[in-house]
Amino acid sequence: MVVTVKLSKVTKTFKKGKRNVEVLRGVDLVVERGACMGVLGPSGTGKTTLMRIIAGLEVPSSGEVYFDDKLVSTSNRIIVPPENRNIGMVFQSWALYPNMKAYDNIAFAVKNKGEETRKKIEEIAELLDILHVLDRYPRELSGGQQQRVALARALAKDPSILVLDEPFSNLDARIRDSARALVKKVQKEFGVTALVVSHDPADIFSVADVAGVLLDGNFAQVGSPLELYDSPVSASVARLVGEINELDGVVEGGKLRVLRGVVERRDCQDGNVKVGIRPEDLRVSETEVQGMISLGKVRVKVSSYTGSSFRLVVSPLEEEKVELYVNSDRPMPINSEAVLLAKPEKIKVFKNN
Amino acid sequence: MSEFGPTVKAFLHQLILAIFVVIWLIPIYAMVINGLKSEFDVTSTPVFIPPLHPSLTAFAAVWSQLDVPLLNSVIVVIPVSLVATFIGAMAAYYFYLLSVSKRRSLNFMSNTIFSLIALATFMPYQAVIIPLTRIEANWGLLNTYGGAIFAFILFYIPTAALLMSMFMAVLPRDIIDAARIDGSGDLRTFFRIVVPLTIPGIISTLIFNVIEMWNNFFIPLVLFNVAKQTLIPVAVESFTGGYGTLYNESFAAAFLASIIPLLIFIFLGRYFIRGLVTLGTGGKGAV
Amino acid sequence: MATLEGRSRLRSILNKAALVLPTAALSIILLYLVLWNLYYSFTNWSLFHSIPEFVGLLSYAQAMSTVFFRSSFVHSLELSGGLILVGNLMGMLLAGLLYFVRSSKLRTVYLSIFIAPLAISMAVNGVIWLWLYNLQIGIDWLLVRLSLPALPWLSSTSTAFPSMFIVAVWAYSGLAVLFYLASFMGVDKSLIEAAKMDGVGTFKTFFRVLLPNSYQGVIVATALLFLFSFKIFSLPFVLSGGPTNVSLQTTVVYMYYLYTTEFFAQSTAIATLVTAIAAAVVIPFALLGLRRWVRRE
Repeated sequence: MVVTVKLSKVTKTFKKGKRNVEVLRGVDLVVERGACMGVLGPSGTGKTTLMRIIAGLEVPSSGEVYFDDKLVSTSNRIIVPPENRNIGMVFQSWALYPNMKAYDNIAFAVKNKGEETRKKIEEIAELLDILHVLDRYPRELSGGQQQRVALARALAKDPSILVLDEPFSNLDARIRDSARALVKKVQKEFGVTALVVSHDPADIFSVADVAGVLLDGNFAQVGSPLELYDSPVSASVARLVGEINELDGVVEGGKLRVLRGVVERRDCQDGNVKVGIRPEDLRVSETEVQGMISLGKVRVKVSSYTGSSFRLVVSPLEEEKVELYVNSDRPMPINSEAVLLAKPEKIKVFKNN
Repeated sequence: MSEFGPTVKAFLHQLILAIFVVIWLIPIYAMVINGLKSEFDVTSTPVFIPPLHPSLTAFAAVWSQLDVPLLNSVIVVIPVSLVATFIGAMAAYYFYLLSVSKRRSLNFMSNTIFSLIALATFMPYQAVIIPLTRIEANWGLLNTYGGAIFAFILFYIPTAALLMSMFMAVLPRDIIDAARIDGSGDLRTFFRIVVPLTIPGIISTLIFNVIEMWNNFFIPLVLFNVAKQTLIPVAVESFTGGYGTLYNESFAAAFLASIIPLLIFIFLGRYFIRGLVTLGTGGKGAV
Repeated sequence: MATLEGRSRLRSILNKAALVLPTAALSIILLYLVLWNLYYSFTNWSLFHSIPEFVGLLSYAQAMSTVFFRSSFVHSLELSGGLILVGNLMGMLLAGLLYFVRSSKLRTVYLSIFIAPLAISMAVNGVIWLWLYNLQIGIDWLLVRLSLPALPWLSSTSTAFPSMFIVAVWAYSGLAVLFYLASFMGVDKSLIEAAKMDGVGTFKTFFRVLLPNSYQGVIVATALLFLFSFKIFSLPFVLSGGPTNVSLQTTVVYMYYLYTTEFFAQSTAIATLVTAIAAAVVIPFALLGLRRWVRRE
């Protein structure tokens, strides 16, 4: 009984002291049956509220929430309470019941307790590699195991929708990638509609089919993760989905000037603009490179190693205050000078606000 | 302070503390030793001198007066404190649900109920004595277990509810939400999750209520008027003496009446102290 | 579908009802008793008027015009006020001494000793102190041995009340010690260590660092000392062997005395007064103090 989740003009206002704070401002959202939607946003933008409204733990101030065609919440009214929504939820804190063993945690959500249920729980546990820890208490489990028990608990009830709240933020960095891959795998295998909420773009990109960026109480952009990354609609979206250098530029007669470089941009109106270039779209070199344009000479200020590649901080010779992050395949001596190159098609132009 | 060396200061510190500790212990010491005195000791020694010929004659003498009241106290206090704690915990969970709700009307309601419960906890229970005795007289409950049980339940459920609602304030919200999402009704969540997670609070509330009820003097005083049938604190009062009473019997009676709360205090005192701290600060104390 | 929703809503309501109904029912009974008490206080119900009639505030006027009321009310105020003052001072002093005890085990033992009187029935405490105040074999025996003047304690009208006050201090100071110590322990350790580094003496640390950061201890100790002492009944009752000793009578004892002499309406009038005074302290304490602390703000 997997459902399509639809939100229509959902708003939520909290009272904070004497002030009214509008956390959500008319959010429209559709998560198709079996799809995995990611919601990305900085903390305090209503991500958690949105998720709690879908789960039925919070009442929308106005607007409607549908599961398929069924109205489940409307203005100031919860029509179907959370216990009847059949939601599988993985909390940021996991929220495992500390007084129950892993198996009982998972079984707690399942209505009938027969042999069939036991089999099913064991199957899921097998899939999530927690079969051998089912008789342990949550406090005896590692962070990764706790997260997988929480996931198993959410899946064991055959949920209509799976909701994951910052599911990886409490995990060690080194197991995060495998946890993400596992979530993606079980989501597809169960064919369950899923909603992942996170502030970390890496979570969203590795799990979600569609992602939305929530800013100031509404979606600034919804699209595939790649779209968000490559064609962000604003500097704020660009910044949220990945690291980016922001520069000032000018467009004049179809030509964009940024630093010492000039790029053809026919799609932009004349005037001052913000220019965004991701570190991997920049290179520092002594010579010209095919398909890249020069942005002028720069001086290397910092050269560091970041796991798999080198990371430089450079400044244009004539503008010491401007600093850019550049990925590099080799370290460079400090204070050495070189030419900064950019992939022209990857340069993003935003309206100056 | 420079004229005192650190050793002198440390010595003075210990000395002053020791003096207060001794003063505080004297009445309890007197209670323990004087019950063991023989008739000869009573006439020859003051209350500060330990018995020269320890004997149990005083205990034997008062036992026949106190056995029934002691048993009555056990019969009334133990089950009532269990029931009151449990019912109070249920109500406390209801307030928890009210107070985490974002609805402002519910929040107002929860504040009102909280104040009423606090008032009922701290209100001098002497203040409703006349209506209570009237009701109990009408129902034929005076001088019965039922009458004492009814009064204790009435007065100590608010205490339990207040204490438990403060112990429950630290329940992790996510876990309660998770249980809801898992389709668990409020009662099931209470029994399967809330109770196991608040066991230390439940024990503290229980211990606090046992000690308070056991020591309550006023309620049995007005609800029982047959000396032999009352609860233990009132029974002890008949040994206050006056001329002709031997003091070893007073102390033996006092000791018998205090043995249960004192044993609880010695072995489970931290739960009683936690109950007190919670009553005052909502569990904020660091002792 | 509509019935399914209705059923689930009903289930939810029944669940909540099961949680709160027992307490709600008993609270309503308690409230009913309070209101009934209030009703009686406006009647003239007594031994002489066995059928209560409405007389307005007459019973209040009668109950409060007696010399017993005045002396018992003054005693209650003196007992509560004095206990708040002395209890707080004892709390500060003893908690200060305990705070600087190095071994935490020893500190717990000392604290338990100061609290122990609270674990014993006040009636039993009364019985014990009756003998300690005995003029031949009690404290006086010790005073005479030490060549100090013997005191008449409970047997003189001028020393009876102070004698009872001493017992109350002994019994209830533990409360204040507990909450002051809790406050002191809650003060950031690094503040104390910083003071030590700066060569600040123990006394100065206590007065300048510990006390100013312990306002919660003051509030709680004061509120609880008032609430516990205002309803002290068994101590004056046991020490004076009944409700009639004028020099030890407190308001609640006077109320009980009116009850035993079957001036029911007057007794309920005093009860109403006592409840109102308690409410005036409890409600702000519960709402501003407890509620805020509970919410972990």
